[in-house]
Amino acid sequence: MTQDKIRNFCIIAHIDHGKSTLADRILEATGAISKRESKDQILDSMDLERERGITIKLNAVKLDYKGYTLHLIDTPGHVDFTYEVSRSLAACEGAVLLVDATQGIEAQSLANYYLALENDLQIIPVINKIDLPNADINKRIEELKSVFGFSEDEIILTSGKTGEGVEKLLDAIIERIPSPNGQKDKPLRALIFDSIFDSYRGIVVQIRVVDGKIRLGDKIKFKSTNAVYDVTEIGVNTPKILKLNELSSGDVGYICASIKTLSDVKIGDTIVLEEEDDVESLDGYKEIKPMVYSGIYPVETSRYNDLRDALEKLKLNDASLSFEMEDSKALGFGFRCGFLGLLHMDIIKERIEREFNLDIILTAPSVIYKVTLTNGDIITIDNPTKLPDRQNISYIEEPYIKTSIFSPTDYIGSIMELCQNKRGNFINMEYIDKTRVNMHYELPLSEIVYDFFDKLKSYTKGYASFDYEFIGYKVSELVKLDILLNGDIVDAFSVITHKSSAYSRGRAIVEKLREIIPRQLFEIPIQACVNNKVIARCDIKANRKNVLAKCYGGDISRKKKLLEKQKEGKKKMKTIGSVELPSEAFLSVLSVEE
Amino acid sequence: MIKSVYIHIPFCKKICSYCDFCKVIYNQKWVDDYLKSLEYEIKNNYKNEKIETIYIGGGTPSSLNIDQLIRLFDVIKIFSKDNLLEFTIECNIEDINEDKLRLFKENGVNRISIGIESFSNKYLKYLNRSYTNEIIEKKINLVKEYFDNINVDLIYALKDETLDELQSDIDKIKKLDVSHISCYSLIIEDNTRLKINNTKPINDELDYEMYKLILDNLSDQYIHYEISNYAKKGYESKHNLTYWHNEEYYGFGLGASGYINNERYTNTKNLTKYLNNEYDRQIEIISKEDKIKYELILGFRLLDGIDKKSFYNKYRIDILDIKEIKKLIEEGKIINDKDKIYINKKYLYVLNDILVYLI
Repeated sequence: MTQDKIRNFCIIAHIDHGKSTLADRILEATGAISKRESKDQILDSMDLERERGITIKLNAVKLDYKGYTLHLIDTPGHVDFTYEVSRSLAACEGAVLLVDATQGIEAQSLANYYLALENDLQIIPVINKIDLPNADINKRIEELKSVFGFSEDEIILTSGKTGEGVEKLLDAIIERIPSPNGQKDKPLRALIFDSIFDSYRGIVVQIRVVDGKIRLGDKIKFKSTNAVYDVTEIGVNTPKILKLNELSSGDVGYICASIKTLSDVKIGDTIVLEEEDDVESLDGYKEIKPMVYSGIYPVETSRYNDLRDALEKLKLNDASLSFEMEDSKALGFGFRCGFLGLLHMDIIKERIEREFNLDIILTAPSVIYKVTLTNGDIITIDNPTKLPDRQNISYIEEPYIKTSIFSPTDYIGSIMELCQNKRGNFINMEYIDKTRVNMHYELPLSEIVYDFFDKLKSYTKGYASFDYEFIGYKVSELVKLDILLNGDIVDAFSVITHKSSAYSRGRAIVEKLREIIPRQLFEIPIQACVNNKVIARCDIKANRKNVLAKCYGGDISRKKKLLEKQKEGKKKMKTIGSVELPSEAFLSVLSVEE
Repeated sequence: MIKSVYIHIPFCKKICSYCDFCKVIYNQKWVDDYLKSLEYEIKNNYKNEKIETIYIGGGTPSSLNIDQLIRLFDVIKIFSKDNLLEFTIECNIEDINEDKLRLFKENGVNRISIGIESFSNKYLKYLNRSYTNEIIEKKINLVKEYFDNINVDLIYALKDETLDELQSDIDKIKKLDVSHISCYSLIIEDNTRLKINNTKPINDELDYEMYKLILDNLSDQYIHYEISNYAKKGYESKHNLTYWHNEEYYGFGLGASGYINNERYTNTKNLTKYLNNEYDRQIEIISKEDKIKYELILGFRLLDGIDKKSFYNKYRIDILDIKEIKKLIEEGKIINDKDKIYINKKYLYVLNDILVYLI
């Protein structure tokens, strides 16, 4: 295949705008799969992806259409995975920007659009879901024109459901997206845009060959890690696996090289031939750094090793997950885990529970704080319990983000109120059209980690969409808030919070815990403390009525059954000191209403 | 060796709003047939052990007419009564009359258990009892002419009940000066009128205050020997002690439970089946481990607790070697005395919270 007959593209869209369904129609229209084969959304191969309607792991598929080779590269649809998205965009020359005909441009439409621009991609604007009765095509056309500056005749109308417009779109991809311009005779440079662990083949690396060729048996080197491997398999997904002998410039495919350690394979890294390893790396490689940390502990302490196995297996497929051992006085041995964001955290939690059948406790997520000590040293803190004593701290900085909140103008007031409550600084507001705005705020990341998404949804009846970018660290007046149960600090409950909200937050947490923790044999005081000063307190009264008074005409089996039921309930509890806590208590600290 | 017999008479003239025992509305024909089936069940299962305690419960055994009661006692004649120590029949206030009392007496009954439940007409109505408070004292005095061993039941923690109202009930029950008192905190059970009417229990704090009030008031004249039971010295219920000592007993009748040959069983609650002599027994086979668990959950209901030596003789295990018992003793929840171990009085009221560690 000559390079001028190749088109590499991806589809970018806000979540739920119909990306995966449209991808399925493209696969059908190009004959890659038959209608019968297409169980919904073939590119989303994990159950969890299909359930949540989001793509977590990327997939690339090779399609034949009218004598051209098209590589469709799927991208994850969530804000947590921005870097992964940007790398798969870097593997393309063009992007299909999908906008829901009923919803219009949303926060991630815009964020993804800018990412595509940064990567110099040819963008094809598409209005999707035109079959829906409430589709407002004219309004969407106006939006695309005013927000992005597209002209009306560039815009293609499609329906992922009926397949309408799909051929037109495929034609536009061939006509408008440039062919790759790499050079076959130059030394090999291939971009890694994803990797997947396969228990038979080891790590399968998804690549885009930019220059040169990669062949079976080549000795290759990963530029950032200097790891060297022999290529044992090359191929493409059609979506069935098709093994090849080589990939050359412009091609998208996968390679296997008996790689067992995922840390050798970094997304965005450049693959070169070992003998030509002085070639320059491709632009854009970044080390992915977790933004949010949380402790993960097994409910049953004896399952620590199972938890470690689970995390190791998950990490094979997810380089952005990091973990190291930690121990908590309250929870025993567990792991401090780093995540790209809250959704990422949620996904990992669910996968551990589902795929490994482990009951786990997550502690309140924390961002990374930079603490400057009085002696001038700077340390980073990802766990509130590690915050040094107040007298040794000169000042603390916390990470800030800039938001894009897309919303109907009706909710401007509510959103402002929400952002102000979350210590936000207003930057500016852009009108998309008369009825919709994009609001920019500066917010501490830690405030997003709590209940921001949920609040935003409820404040705007679900109409607002949200995206953010990290903008750096700022000095903040932060304190550590400790929670004491029965007089002892429960380290897993400690949070770092802004001084101004410590009191209300402390009170909210103790109230919430009082609701969640069942009455026990003795009265349990719950206290919230800042700098050893109690700022809020309430008590869980001792259990009172707990006698099965009568022995039911000698039906004693029944009494035992009732006790056994009570015991089952107890099993799900975590004992801390002498207090029994339901495992949801740990995350409930997050969801308090102040 | 089985020493105890429970006989269930499931008939009632009126259904109480809190009752989830096995019962049906009284019907003369059904009672007649029932007594035949009861006789059949007893004849086919009783193995001629010498019986020490018999308990006729319900339902309302006293709802049977004189003829039916005579037939019931005829059926009971089958039991070997040489060693009989205690023979109880449950009786409703409105059923008490000299004819019935005389009949009970003639047939060897030596203990009458009477459900008074409340002295307030407001609550008697709420519980759907069929008498008013004016007759209680008179009826009890009549019983006392025939029997000295009398139990009365009281239910507390009723809707809106105050401590003052309970105090008045306690005063009245003490004035009756009977030998045994059972006090039960109201439990709102599934499939009862109270539950269907969406009755909510009173708050736990008040419930606990009430429990203490009863304890404080009765302790001068009665021995608190089991969670819900108070007796004058020597009048502890021997039949119920069979249950609490985890000993085997027969259960005969509709929905009756028994414990024979390492099996705990409960008969069908379907009257038609029972009348066809089908018992559809639900059976729990008791392993040695289960037996120990039962010994603990039952034994710790008694304030005296469990005798260490008899525990060892029964199971060949030192009760103090049981890991959970050890821990509870360390935590002060169980007291390890010379011969016995028992629940710390402080925790008796939340016994279940301790028992769950033992099963």
